[in-house]
Amino acid sequence: MVTRKGIRANLGLAVIYLIVFALGLVCLLPLLNILALSFSSSEAAAANLVGFVPVKFTTAAYQKILEDRQFWRSFGISVLRVVLQLVLNLILIVLMAYPLSKSKREFRGRNIYMNLLIFAMLFSGGMIPTYLVVKNLHLINTIWALVLPGAVPIFSVIMVMNFFMGIPKSLEEAAVIDGATPIQVLTRVYIPCSKPVIATITLFSIVGSWNDFFGGLIYMTKVANYPLQTYIQSLSVSLEDILNSGGSLSSLVNAMEVSSQNLNAAKIVVSVVPLLLIYPILQKYLITGIVVGSVKE
Amino acid sequence: MREMGKCRKLWCRQVSERPGTMRPTTTRRRMMTSAAILAVTALSAAFLAGCGGKAETPAAVAAAGDGPLGAYEETLVCAAGRSTIANPKFPEGDSYEDNAYTRYVKDVLNVEIRDEFEANGADYDRQVSLAIASGELPDIMQIGSKDLLDELVENDLVADLTEAYEEYASDYIKEIYDSYDGRCLGQASYDGRLMAMPGTNLDGAPCVTYIRRDWLDKLGIRIDEDGDKCISIEELEMVAAAFLEQDPGGSGKPVGLAFAPYLTADDYGGSGYTMNAVASAFGAFPKVWLADEDGEVYYSSTSPQMKEALGKLAQWFRDGILDPQFGTRTWDDITALLTNGQLGIVFGPWHIPDWLLNNVRAMDDEADFAAYAIADGEGRVNVTHSNATGGYMVVRKGYSNPEVLVKLVNLYFDEMVNSTALAEEHPDVYDYINQGVDGTARVISLEVNAYTSLLDDYEDIRACVAGEIAEDEVHTAESRSIVESVKKYVENPSEAGVTDWAKNVSRMEGVALIDRMMETGKFCWETPVFYGVTETMRMKSANLGTLEEEMFVAIVTGSKDIGAFDEFVATWEAQGGSQIRTEVQEAVFGEEE
Amino acid sequence: MGKKVAKMGGAARARGVSSQRMYHVMMLPGMLFVLIFCYIPMFGVVMAFQDYVPAKGILGSKFVGLKNFSYMFSLPDVSRIFVNTLVIAIGKIILGTLMAIVFAILLNEIRCKLFKKTVQTIVYLPHFLSWVVLAAVVVNMVNLDGPLNQLLELVGLGKINFLGSNVWFRPMIIATDVWKEFGYNSIVYLAAITAIDPGLHEAAAMDGATWWKRVWHVTLPGMLPIILLMAAMNLTSILSAGFDQIYNLYSPMVYQTGDVLDTYVYRMGLISRQYSFSTAVGLLRSVVGMILMLTANGLAGRFTDRKIF
Repeated sequence: MVTRKGIRANLGLAVIYLIVFALGLVCLLPLLNILALSFSSSEAAAANLVGFVPVKFTTAAYQKILEDRQFWRSFGISVLRVVLQLVLNLILIVLMAYPLSKSKREFRGRNIYMNLLIFAMLFSGGMIPTYLVVKNLHLINTIWALVLPGAVPIFSVIMVMNFFMGIPKSLEEAAVIDGATPIQVLTRVYIPCSKPVIATITLFSIVGSWNDFFGGLIYMTKVANYPLQTYIQSLSVSLEDILNSGGSLSSLVNAMEVSSQNLNAAKIVVSVVPLLLIYPILQKYLITGIVVGSVKE
Repeated sequence: MREMGKCRKLWCRQVSERPGTMRPTTTRRRMMTSAAILAVTALSAAFLAGCGGKAETPAAVAAAGDGPLGAYEETLVCAAGRSTIANPKFPEGDSYEDNAYTRYVKDVLNVEIRDEFEANGADYDRQVSLAIASGELPDIMQIGSKDLLDELVENDLVADLTEAYEEYASDYIKEIYDSYDGRCLGQASYDGRLMAMPGTNLDGAPCVTYIRRDWLDKLGIRIDEDGDKCISIEELEMVAAAFLEQDPGGSGKPVGLAFAPYLTADDYGGSGYTMNAVASAFGAFPKVWLADEDGEVYYSSTSPQMKEALGKLAQWFRDGILDPQFGTRTWDDITALLTNGQLGIVFGPWHIPDWLLNNVRAMDDEADFAAYAIADGEGRVNVTHSNATGGYMVVRKGYSNPEVLVKLVNLYFDEMVNSTALAEEHPDVYDYINQGVDGTARVISLEVNAYTSLLDDYEDIRACVAGEIAEDEVHTAESRSIVESVKKYVENPSEAGVTDWAKNVSRMEGVALIDRMMETGKFCWETPVFYGVTETMRMKSANLGTLEEEMFVAIVTGSKDIGAFDEFVATWEAQGGSQIRTEVQEAVFGEEE
Repeated sequence: MGKKVAKMGGAARARGVSSQRMYHVMMLPGMLFVLIFCYIPMFGVVMAFQDYVPAKGILGSKFVGLKNFSYMFSLPDVSRIFVNTLVIAIGKIILGTLMAIVFAILLNEIRCKLFKKTVQTIVYLPHFLSWVVLAAVVVNMVNLDGPLNQLLELVGLGKINFLGSNVWFRPMIIATDVWKEFGYNSIVYLAAITAIDPGLHEAAAMDGATWWKRVWHVTLPGMLPIILLMAAMNLTSILSAGFDQIYNLYSPMVYQTGDVLDTYVYRMGLISRQYSFSTAVGLLRSVVGMILMLTANGLAGRFTDRKIF
């Protein structure tokens, strides 16, 4: 009996392993496909011969990217944007989360702020009014158009606020008795205690701003100013689009030449590299951060 | 679920604290709130105002020099909306804002072009929309649709160019526009006032049928016995069946005829893989507005002739001559069929060898194409005139120097084309033309060409290749480069490059076909009565277009029988088609009594 | 629970006033950004009640009351778009949640650390990539000559134009979204499973419960609060079927089944220049979305003792 049960259990476990393995594979293969494309010759890519291993291995596409000024310009814009956004986000989030984590008695007006924030999170004026504001501030075609509208990610503020609420009051009280100002309490007590949640919002900020393409699409009027994701998005303008918009002969010829699949694949791969670099850190804090931050008892 | 029943009030934690312990006096709070709201409202008004002071305050007019190309005394800055393409092939270091064409403008006219936005395709439309929304148009910009021009004129956002055109347009430019008999300028005129400089658009007819010549030879198929370059529907069917059965490409998966899922197109110029050639043989002109003898406008997609044409396609689909995967094969897929040697018949404008069929030749250096037109039962080739207007350039209302747009047209489409000293005076511009830097690099990426220019150029090329005229007698630089290509190909087909081959096929087959039709009078012209967009069209055309496409595909693939066409017409009428027809009728023939 | 009210020390109370001022100062910079980029644009919604003419601006345009809204409901387009949005969003929520729960339960059984870690690394990855990137990946996989169709061809099912067919587009959108997010979404559930008292499992095993029964009677009930909370949170996304994803994957061919509120608002507003109409649709979406969010938060608070905000 025991052995039969054991075998059945083992068999069951094997099935579980198999399913999990298959799911992992399903996630991996499409990414491998694009990687394989990027290392294949353009002819093989165009002829749809590439599966999950490169066909006629070549790094030609990557060499081409090295010479592509616009690609690197966009890459640089994206990096700068991520850095600016991150700094701004962290400062503003922490500054806001601290007073908000106080009770209504400790911080009069807390609830007004809170309700204002929640309303702003739930209700948006829409694309065009936001565009008008950005335009009237003369931010169009500047990096600030990408950074400032997202300066306060309200959801992250709430996450950090929740975390701050969980920090024992006794710590703060001790500091206050020692004569610490609120800023000092924040920097000496709260921030050092909040590494997981700060790591999490850092990652949200980085991933969010690196991946955003829409801001670039609207606030940048020239390809030269596009951040990387917008630039990559603009590559995939399909031929049918051009046809439908009544394209000229030259634009048709051009479209046929530009659509080299392996080059686009390589651009995509390179655009993902920065995320892959921080991915290990990402993963480490993600789990703690998510569990601690958003789903808190 | 331990504390499930515990009810908390909406936004969160703070409510669990004892309420009401310290509440500031409500009146004070209310005052503060209303003050805050007032402040925010005032701020919003400022930030959302949009509508620009820019439009109201024209800069001091830089003294305009006289004549079509008169230079400004002080540098005139002109902010432009630029319609671009992804890879314009600039030489190292040049950009849309700073390239030989813009420097040319600076040199000759003393006008400095600053790009307000640069984008292509739908991105460009978005930039224009945003510019309009914010009330700050660039000084000059290109727009694609009549619909948008209507809107700009209605909202009084663009400048009247009537006087500027009269005064500054060169005689040559006026001649070009006149060659269209007002069909071109008329589209840009409102109550007799010229509100935009239109681009011109040549007739693109017919929808050419390119057939693999090498396959015809291989299989020993003979079509077009009388050599008039016209083939009948039956001949087309016969060739397709032969290609399907005998698989001359040796792919193992031959396809007889293939069409893109959208099946039809409203013009000849940009679209390939359509059934337009077949439809015209039945006297149908999909997506085109025509008028019958009684002056009643009708939409040709809903005509009985269209039904007949679709019936033919459905029959081909049943017989297997038409691609069994029709409906799911996209543009790219059909291109792949061609390059893989599965498909040997393709429909499209005359120039597809240059940008599409060249890929076939690149994969198979035996590949060659012959061009035919499909004739109806009486041997005529039915065609429609294209819209004579290809896009518009507008000047924003309030700009100090609206005539600059006319001068730009003079510069690019008269001076640059006709100047004999271009190579010496502006060698970089000359290089641009020879290197094929894209036309979007000019501030005006539209074309302004005489109605007959395609055949005029062809005549040059033909005569020069035949040795009747010398190379320097050929009029345009572009034609000269085509002559070289064609000669290279004709002299040694196996050595010539793919581009040479392509230019040979597109001109010596494609354009030659048009030339031939014109000469022999085979063309039977219909003139569409309406190219614009009516109010109801604006709202319903997307829907109706989808309906049309889906029904046509369903009929051809047999998921609906041909009787469903009448059902389609009824639905089309009911869903706004009849309303649109009334509007078109009014637009064309005026209000009915 | 419920004893949040801290007893404040006397010293702190004495410092209360200056702290108060400090707190306001700390809020100031952030609130300024919120004011400028969230609140001021909100006044733009008046466009929804106007016939907005850009040249006249918001202040100069004519008010037309609810005309834009009644027009909206008269359009067959709009009801279709609501249907598309709901079908896609609900499909994503249900399948996405199921998939994440199942995956979490299965993953929890894996004892081999290395294997588990590797699989986790892989399945979390797509969540961090943008739809710009993933759209290219998906298109390459499912296009007519891509690997998936080659496979279908091989087993004799014939090719399917997944992204160009009105039958397949919605399933594709749902499937690719589940594919992107299931790993990441499973994190929360996995955490919930690990938090279940192992004693319960042991007791059940002692009673001779099979693995399946233990999952059903111990694991799932243990996860229930989280599942409910997540369901409530998901409710809020019922009107946003994923702009980035659909924008990067759709084409006019599949507007019939794939056009959702966000893409429609975008096209109407920024391509077709129907500013007022687009704002009206967006406003409706916003209001309904807000009601859902509040409901969800209320439900979450009532049933799970946790709050979204």
